[in-house]
Amino acid sequence: MSQTLWNRTLTWSGAVRRSVSRVGWPATDKDRAAAMISSLFLHIHPARVSRHVLKPAYTCALGLIAGVLFVVLSVTGLALMLYYVPYPPEAYRSMKDLQFVVTFGIVLRNMHRWSAHAMVMVVFLHMCRVFWTGSYKPPREFNWVVGVLLLLLTLGLSFTGYLLPWDQLAFWAITVGTNIAAYAPVVGDQVKFLLLGGHVIGPMTLLRFYVLHCVMLPLAMLLLISLHVWRVRKDGLSGAEVHAPAAEEVAGVFPPSTKTYGLMALSKRPRTSVEARDPNDDVFAWPQLLYRELLVALAVSVALHVVSLVFMAPLEEMADPTRTPNPAKAPWYFLGLQELVHYSALVGGVIVPTLLVLALLVVPYFDRGKAGAGQWFAPERRVANAVFTTLAVIFAGLTIIGTLFRGPNWAWVWPWK
Amino acid sequence: MGVAVEVKTIAPPRLHLVFAGLGLAFLLIFSWVLFHEGTAEWRTTQARFRRLETTVKNPHQLAQSVSVAGLRQIWLPDLGRVDRCGTCHLGIDDPAFTGAPRPFAAHPGTWLSTHPTDRFGCTACHDGQGQATDYANAAHQPQPFVSRPMRPLETIEANCGACHRALDPPDAPRLAEGRRLIIEWGCFSCHDIPGFEGLTFRGPALDSIGYKVRPGWLSVWLGDPKSYLPQSRMGKFRLSPDEIANLQGFLLSQRAQAPLDNTGVDWKKADTANGRALFGELRCVSCHAVNGRGGTMGPELTRIGDKVRRPWLFSYLKDPHRVQPDTPMLRYRLTDDQLRDLTAFLYEEYSSAGAGPEPTPATYQDARLLAAGHAVFERRGCASCHQLAGTKDTGRIGPSLAGIADRDPDELPYGSNIVRHTTDNYIFLKVLLPDTLGQPSSMPTYGFTPADAAKIALALASIRKTDLPASYVLRRPAPVPYRPGGKFGELVTRYRCLSCHSVGGFGGDLSTVPLDRIGSQLQHDYVAKYLLNPGAVRVSVEARMPVFHMLPEEATSIADYFSTVFLDDSIEQYDTNFTAAETRRGEELYGQLGCEACHQLGTKGGYVGPELSASGARLKAGWIAAWLSTPQRYKPDTLQPDYGLSSTDVRALTAYLSSLGRRDAAKARGGDAR
Repeated sequence: MSQTLWNRTLTWSGAVRRSVSRVGWPATDKDRAAAMISSLFLHIHPARVSRHVLKPAYTCALGLIAGVLFVVLSVTGLALMLYYVPYPPEAYRSMKDLQFVVTFGIVLRNMHRWSAHAMVMVVFLHMCRVFWTGSYKPPREFNWVVGVLLLLLTLGLSFTGYLLPWDQLAFWAITVGTNIAAYAPVVGDQVKFLLLGGHVIGPMTLLRFYVLHCVMLPLAMLLLISLHVWRVRKDGLSGAEVHAPAAEEVAGVFPPSTKTYGLMALSKRPRTSVEARDPNDDVFAWPQLLYRELLVALAVSVALHVVSLVFMAPLEEMADPTRTPNPAKAPWYFLGLQELVHYSALVGGVIVPTLLVLALLVVPYFDRGKAGAGQWFAPERRVANAVFTTLAVIFAGLTIIGTLFRGPNWAWVWPWK
Repeated sequence: MGVAVEVKTIAPPRLHLVFAGLGLAFLLIFSWVLFHEGTAEWRTTQARFRRLETTVKNPHQLAQSVSVAGLRQIWLPDLGRVDRCGTCHLGIDDPAFTGAPRPFAAHPGTWLSTHPTDRFGCTACHDGQGQATDYANAAHQPQPFVSRPMRPLETIEANCGACHRALDPPDAPRLAEGRRLIIEWGCFSCHDIPGFEGLTFRGPALDSIGYKVRPGWLSVWLGDPKSYLPQSRMGKFRLSPDEIANLQGFLLSQRAQAPLDNTGVDWKKADTANGRALFGELRCVSCHAVNGRGGTMGPELTRIGDKVRRPWLFSYLKDPHRVQPDTPMLRYRLTDDQLRDLTAFLYEEYSSAGAGPEPTPATYQDARLLAAGHAVFERRGCASCHQLAGTKDTGRIGPSLAGIADRDPDELPYGSNIVRHTTDNYIFLKVLLPDTLGQPSSMPTYGFTPADAAKIALALASIRKTDLPASYVLRRPAPVPYRPGGKFGELVTRYRCLSCHSVGGFGGDLSTVPLDRIGSQLQHDYVAKYLLNPGAVRVSVEARMPVFHMLPEEATSIADYFSTVFLDDSIEQYDTNFTAAETRRGEELYGQLGCEACHQLGTKGGYVGPELSASGARLKAGWIAAWLSTPQRYKPDTLQPDYGLSSTDVRALTAYLSSLGRRDAAKARGGDAR
């Protein structure tokens, strides 16, 4: 009797599970492929991936980490929205409440803050990785452009979020940041007015930044991330081709294909034919890729928890428009620009950022040669890499100077003094 | 399925190790997060409190006490404050925790009953970060980014001053003293100070100073006023010798009004012994100190002979109001001979041997010197305190002190002083040593003691940038100026009654007797007689009413005015038909209550209260009764005890006291005239 009941329960629960997931825990390669293809969430992965792109040394998992950070930011951000009031001075008080009253509030806030900083850093490094491995080479030019837009969105999200605590740090950083925007010729003042909802930062600015930060920019981000990942899925990860043996070599081992694949004829995915690749180069995404992704996500969340428990997110006095700190600094990722603005407002505020963004947007359409794609610091791309690296180092150097070496009146100070 | 394929489809064991490590790390760190929240400081503090509660309270009290678990806060929307101090200070309003260890101790004193927490919270008085729920962040000690950390008890009265705007706030002696010093030193002459509006501070008018002072004295005075007069209210302006010379020349050339004619005075006939007698009789020391003893309303006279010229002194004593219309000094009715004797006495008794013969007034013609002196006069804002016709009104020379307590301490200069950079410390240094803050300062050095400077700084530290809601502010009662007209007004002006007495809160406080109901307190004939030759009613009080040398008709006018205007109708309507039995009962009561411990009667009794030998001729019966019933109502700080007497006893005592010193009453009691 009990045996029957047990079996019937098993049958019932099996039916429930199958209604949710059509494929069970995959035991065969076919099931593994089916598991990836039949799930909405897993389908952004191919069923099989080249084992070469799984190597951590190639991608450094930077894109994945950025994605994980976006998820962490979305989750913590939604939780923070339950406590936040986008109106001064309650905005500042809600920061204090998070710190002192809300259960896990301070961990939430710290995690959101540090994840946001980390994301800016990681997205920037991801861009460097893509450049240094030549991964924007055809046919991936447009995905690079999407990536640049995602970098700008990341900066925008971080910048709009910077104001929300409504403390002195936030207020004056945004003041400096929006003043840099106002240097733009002709439209500068209008852009600033549009951003601030007035001529100075006030309750309207806070509301605008809140809506931008919580609704508009995350939606745009989600859309572009989907596009970005979709293109990666369709184009495949770069680097696989490099390791694909030449068709002639494989030809001797595998008989030439006589099959036709209807859908694949539509796919623009560039590759040698399915059969022309060494089957030993491909591994199943389940579990090889998923497992590694899980490990990276786990590592990221452990690191975020540690940082959030040890380092407090900064919170200064409540914003006071009558008290200007000296120096008033923009958020750190704009301090390179602020350092330039210190020399020349037009150069630092307009010319350099415009040229940088334009250069990033068009670089895949000028640097079209396929040579050197898919490997780090390919000798064929020595010039391109040298130019990019120089610019990146200069920009990073200016940022570090602006962050650590500038004191009152933007005078030089030694950070250890 | 081949072996090679199998190898590729499962993850390598290395990854399992990584997974195990990361998984463990995640579990650990997440437990840490839970632990971190579960052992929050306020939770462990509340657990300690619950343990303490069982030792402090008996089971009955424990059963009645509300269990504490969770955050406690006081929300004060009017003040924009949320105070969570009660989360840890759990015994603060519970007398059972008097003397308990911190943070559980009950609040000392009766402060919480006069300032209930549900109206004032905690940080309104104490400052600190009320939103915080741990010791460090509550800013018990200074914290970064907390603009108002908890005030130490030494300066907490500064926060009393935020609400209590009266010049003598209750229960805040240091604040009251600080405000008194601000008034005494006239800080508001140069600075606009919120809370001190309408008050004036005047140094002597300088229009005729060329006739008044000796040149040698003036240059010493300008160099350092304290070297002549240690109590001088004028600070040291740190002038260069050139500036002093220029200013001296400029000032000595000010001769708008010559002294009154004294050509008829024969100085050789001056009788300094008579001058000395007058000096005592006129009670000069009530207002002027000599050799460090005496009043402070007027300047000390110890070295007056070194300072002023004799003709000027004679003229000033004859009519002080002519020279200085707003002086508190009264105009005595003295003959020229008396004035001559008094002047000669002052001039000889109070001058140092080295003063030398009086130089004739020199005329300064050098236009450049005069212009330079004039420039110094205006630059240093002398006109803020001293009146001088023909100079530009420079207004208040110093910056406004509105919101000074909320100045950003990081933007203030501290010079080479090694102090923590707080606004309080800045104000203190600025008051004490204005020239040491590393910035050129026009503010003179007043030579305050550090204790006085601290009190002034404390009073200034209550002046904040944003004002509190009106419902929290106890405004300074605006004194209604009392300026009677007519003959009485003339007499009040001449004899400067309001320098010492007050009417409706307006006037001086040297006298302990306000005049508001004086007509109901004193009998008409007594007043008229007393004014002609005032004696000491309170033996122990040093400042006494001067002998004005008033005319009898003047005294009668004043008494008439008192008994028709300065009346309290509730006192007036008192049945004065006392019976002999009442008088006898009153005499018994006088002995039973121990009145003679403080009051003198005949030759017996204490010296604390007024003597009562002639109270029947002096006081009105209604007033005696009113005073005995509720003395504190009429004088809140009086030492007279409120015995809670029944109206019968009051009447009996009144009957007895009314009988003292009255011939008709003495007859009624059987010839026992004391």
